[in-house]
Amino acid sequence: MVEMQSFRVILLVGVLVVSLALGLGISSAQQVKNPDTLIIAHSGDVDSLDPAWQYDTLSSGITLWNVYETLIFFRGGSVGDYVPMLATQVPSLRNGLISRDARTFTFPINPQARFSDGTPVTAEDVKYSLMRFMMIDRDGGPSWVLLQPITGEDTTRDKDGKFRMEIFDRADRAIQVRGNSVVITLARPYAPFLNIMASWSMVISKRAAIAKGDWDGRRETVARFNNPQRNADTKLFEGAVGTGPFVIERWDRGTKTVILRRNERYWRGQRAALQRVVFRTVEEFATRRLMLQQGDADFITVGRPEQSQVEGLPGVRIVDDLSQFVTQALFLNLNVKGAGNPYLGSGRLDGNGIPANFFSDVQVRRAIAQSIDYGAIRRDCFRNKITLGNGPIPRGMFGYNERGRWYTYDRDRAIAAWREVQGGRVWETGFKLTVLYNTGNAARRCASEILKRSIESLNPKFQVEVTSLAWSTYLAQENEGRLPIYFLGWAADYADPDNFVYPFMHSNGTFTKAQSYSNPEVDRLIEEAQRTADPARRRQIYFRLQEIAYTDVPTVYLGYPTGFVVMRSWVRGWYWNPMFFGLGYLYALSKQ
Amino acid sequence: MTAFIARRLVLLPIVVIGTTLLIFALTQLLSPAMRASLFVQDPNQMRDLEAIIRKYGLDRPFYVQYWEWLKNVVRGDLGYSFVARQTVAEAIRSFFPTTLELSLFSFGLLLMVGIWLGTLSAVHKDRWIDHLSRTVSIVGTGLPTFVWGLVLLLLFYGMHPWFPPGRLSLEAYLYVTSDRFRSYTGLLTLDALLNGQLWIFWDALRHLVLPVLTLSYFTAAVLVRVMRSAMLETLRQDYVRTARAKGLPEPVVIRRHARRNALIPVITLASLILAGLLTGAVITETIYDLPGIGRWGAQAAQQLDIPGVAGFALFSAVLVVLGNLAADILYAFVDPRIRY
Amino acid sequence: MNEAPTVPQVLPKLRISRLTPERSGVGEFLRRLRRNPLSVTGLAIIVFFVMVAVLAPVLAPPPRGWRDPYKIPNESFAPDPRPPRPGHPFGTTSEQYDLYYGVVWGTRTAFRVSLTVIAISVAVGLVIGGFAGYRGGGADEVFMRVTDVFLAFPGLILAVVIVAVLGKGLDKVLIALSLVSWPTYARLLRGEILSVRQRDFVEAARALGASDVRIFVRHVLPNTIYPVLIYGSLDMASVVISAAALSFLGLGAEVGYADWGQLINLARPWIIGAPGNAFQYWYTLVYPGLAISLFVLGWNLLGDAFRDIMDPKLRGQA
Repeated sequence: MVEMQSFRVILLVGVLVVSLALGLGISSAQQVKNPDTLIIAHSGDVDSLDPAWQYDTLSSGITLWNVYETLIFFRGGSVGDYVPMLATQVPSLRNGLISRDARTFTFPINPQARFSDGTPVTAEDVKYSLMRFMMIDRDGGPSWVLLQPITGEDTTRDKDGKFRMEIFDRADRAIQVRGNSVVITLARPYAPFLNIMASWSMVISKRAAIAKGDWDGRRETVARFNNPQRNADTKLFEGAVGTGPFVIERWDRGTKTVILRRNERYWRGQRAALQRVVFRTVEEFATRRLMLQQGDADFITVGRPEQSQVEGLPGVRIVDDLSQFVTQALFLNLNVKGAGNPYLGSGRLDGNGIPANFFSDVQVRRAIAQSIDYGAIRRDCFRNKITLGNGPIPRGMFGYNERGRWYTYDRDRAIAAWREVQGGRVWETGFKLTVLYNTGNAARRCASEILKRSIESLNPKFQVEVTSLAWSTYLAQENEGRLPIYFLGWAADYADPDNFVYPFMHSNGTFTKAQSYSNPEVDRLIEEAQRTADPARRRQIYFRLQEIAYTDVPTVYLGYPTGFVVMRSWVRGWYWNPMFFGLGYLYALSKQ
Repeated sequence: MTAFIARRLVLLPIVVIGTTLLIFALTQLLSPAMRASLFVQDPNQMRDLEAIIRKYGLDRPFYVQYWEWLKNVVRGDLGYSFVARQTVAEAIRSFFPTTLELSLFSFGLLLMVGIWLGTLSAVHKDRWIDHLSRTVSIVGTGLPTFVWGLVLLLLFYGMHPWFPPGRLSLEAYLYVTSDRFRSYTGLLTLDALLNGQLWIFWDALRHLVLPVLTLSYFTAAVLVRVMRSAMLETLRQDYVRTARAKGLPEPVVIRRHARRNALIPVITLASLILAGLLTGAVITETIYDLPGIGRWGAQAAQQLDIPGVAGFALFSAVLVVLGNLAADILYAFVDPRIRY
Repeated sequence: MNEAPTVPQVLPKLRISRLTPERSGVGEFLRRLRRNPLSVTGLAIIVFFVMVAVLAPVLAPPPRGWRDPYKIPNESFAPDPRPPRPGHPFGTTSEQYDLYYGVVWGTRTAFRVSLTVIAISVAVGLVIGGFAGYRGGGADEVFMRVTDVFLAFPGLILAVVIVAVLGKGLDKVLIALSLVSWPTYARLLRGEILSVRQRDFVEAARALGASDVRIFVRHVLPNTIYPVLIYGSLDMASVVISAAALSFLGLGAEVGYADWGQLINLARPWIIGAPGNAFQYWYTLVYPGLAISLFVLGWNLLGDAFRDIMDPKLRGQA
């Protein structure tokens, strides 16, 4: 009897559950969901909404040109053609707003420009924004991008970490307010400066900042705001008042949601079509994809390995082959640091390790470059959406040499190359290498495994270990020069080849310093190209640099991957520019 | 009784110090440079590593760093969690209500199901209901939670949009974060009722269905088996046989005599379960995109956000000790033989 | 260590009786085992897995010249899984790792991980718990507090911190899981030892002049074997699940290693299938999932069986 009762109870519960489910269900119509709100589901966390602090694509993607505007902007999808934004004209030699010696740039500020709170934008606000951007100079931040061309230094602090007031003075003198114009005089002529301005001259309201307790722009107080600790006062770096078509409505760290609201008083013309834009962090890919399917997200981030999972979804549009200005490479360390470094194995050429200066021999480097199955990497790790590399400058950027020579994978030639190294000694004794990549990066893991496979297949005495490290540990070790052979990439800060050749090839570059690579001819050429405004001469120099990259090969260039974006087809108005971070320009978007 | 409680509460700070000390000790296995690197995100400014080490005192001896941290804790400053982009105290305050809500619903559900099914199983030992419930409960412990969670998501969100991920729909979220809504407890279901917004109550409930099912299945399975064996044991006891001999109806025997005593081990387990739920719903929160404390704790641990992990350790230690204390007090009520 | 503690933390409060001296014996044990159909099933499953583990090199031979048999061979690194086909009876998962090979060699990994963790935990637990239980008093108090500390912290998070600090790799996972599991065994053993310590035959032995160690080894130890057997067999299953949870967080065995949890983790983006066909990639989940589930089922049934057998009160009902 008790059994029958239990059975009935189970049945009842089952019926309840099903009816609850049905009752709460809504049919998934494929008409536009949330027509005036754009929802973006991404992985990764927003770091900051403050233009002087943020230095990652996610954070910048939210605010650049959407919340804060710059002095000039890119015309459509072009990276060399500009239109005015907060300035009335784009400076050029022709209109005299760039001086003859290409050192002084004048930006007349548009008198119609207004912040989202209605107050007018003055040249003083512009100077304040630029000074603040440079002087805050937080560890690992973007300030060097403006510091370098304007003051000639890339940090505001000395070797002991103390703030150098002279840097402030230099910057203060370099940026002048004349009437309603801002005049910037660079330390040295620097050709790419306009490009930098298009992405990095975000303007915020000085009055509103000071009201929040931020720096008041004076020399006496600047040292206090230099290199702030994040936990000191987070309110200061939450966001500022800008002129853009959207304002920050709220940033909810609990639910990892950023909401932008339309700026009803947008000064440049019609207000945005979207009333709200919501950015949500959803770490799990499966969840993101289902949200896209159901229309609960209009854009989601998808990595290349999962691309097939979003192809063919009804109501979903994929835009592929987006040019990105990213260079992925395998770095060889010419002088590995650290006694007892585990990645060197035995530390000697005895088949169980490599000596610390293994890669200082250019024959070794060329042999490695010939032992990599680039085709397999391209096919499997990037789904063929990568142009094989031949140098630091990515495809599509000025200075890229389409016909530049690079190594190809040929097993026999690779074996021959190794046999020649050190008169055959390396071939006889063999070696044990450790290749490193940063944990979680699927493309690099895939490339590491293919590298291992290709090298080990040449000679049974060649052993390759593959290891990964967490990102910050990885960076730390790389910077200390402790990694022998490792993968890294570089994304453009601005669309000029100098932004690439410097870190990859100049002896003072961020990568080359860790690799202990130095070539005086390279340094000379790079510095000349920085100073020259003549595009023909610059192109010549960059082509020559590519040749040196080929013959010296301290770095094996994998290639320039293209990107792709996944959105619901009811999103209209989206367009791409290689200098966009994240999604890009939200002002143009609407949902129909 | 009060003496007993007082004695247990005195132990609380010891356990708290112990757990946080453990965490600090573990992180000392990293060199100062490695710990400093956790503060930097970009290759460009890596030269500042030395300055970072000095700024945060990362090269000072371990007990000094721990002592500094402890002093701050007493003052109420738990430090800054870079993973959460807020201070540790703020993080706990914003994440805990979500996990609490999820845990309370899961706890209620699994307690009801566990006790009911476990009793049923024991009373009808070796009959079909017993085999069914044992199979279901073993299957529940056999698959990793994330598999179960993803399958549920696929079935009940992917195929039909009945139960979406996240805590609230966009509309409800905008309302809840506006000035029109007052947050009393942080528990959305409760707050919605207190605010008189029934539609938000349903919305929150709807978003809780799948996570609660995912989280409680595993634990319900465990509870069923414990309840079953505990009931089996009490049903053999002499006093049960006496009760039957006296002519009491079977349901009364089961309910009044057997079950009460079988609940003793269940109470132990229940307090452990609650503590576990509160601090550990990592996987469920990740899959369903719930901003809870488990997800934060796991992320902090993965990225070695030391203030974050230490704060989390402290919080969970407090919860567990209090939970154990509650269980011990409950024993006193349930089992008259136990007296303090 | 999963999202909630497992049964055995409760065991010390349940009364686990063991076979009284006059009725012990392996023969009796096996006889009772055979009479219970569920336990026979459990035993059969475990024996099946043992055989697969032992015969792994025969069932799934690694390719010639392959250096590490625990690394699953793959013909390319193509990102999309491919269904079962000739040469790959279970199909291949993302990056073309052969599922059949992974499941077969994963059996070895499963045994290795669980046996190692349990062995270490039992050893450490025996020493520490035994000492505390036997000595009692001050040592016992300290012991209880130390284990309180370990148990107060959610096992999964603690394991994550340990692995994050020590670095990735299966051996680090073993260390982490052992560090998390030993307190429970220690408590279990301490409880047993405490109760045995007062027994008559121990008093008698001591009166006869036997040393502490001798008493411990001859009398106390054998009686602790049964709870360890019961808990250990239930734990074999939960350790494997915990390792899978660590893989979910990216901290388990490396990608491409023959480990069931890692294989399931690789299947994560594919569980929801392709547009238009929700079960297109069923094989990425079903095969390793089945392996883990059966493994857990087997050990759970076996553990249940041990417990049912060793409780004399239930003897009459069998």
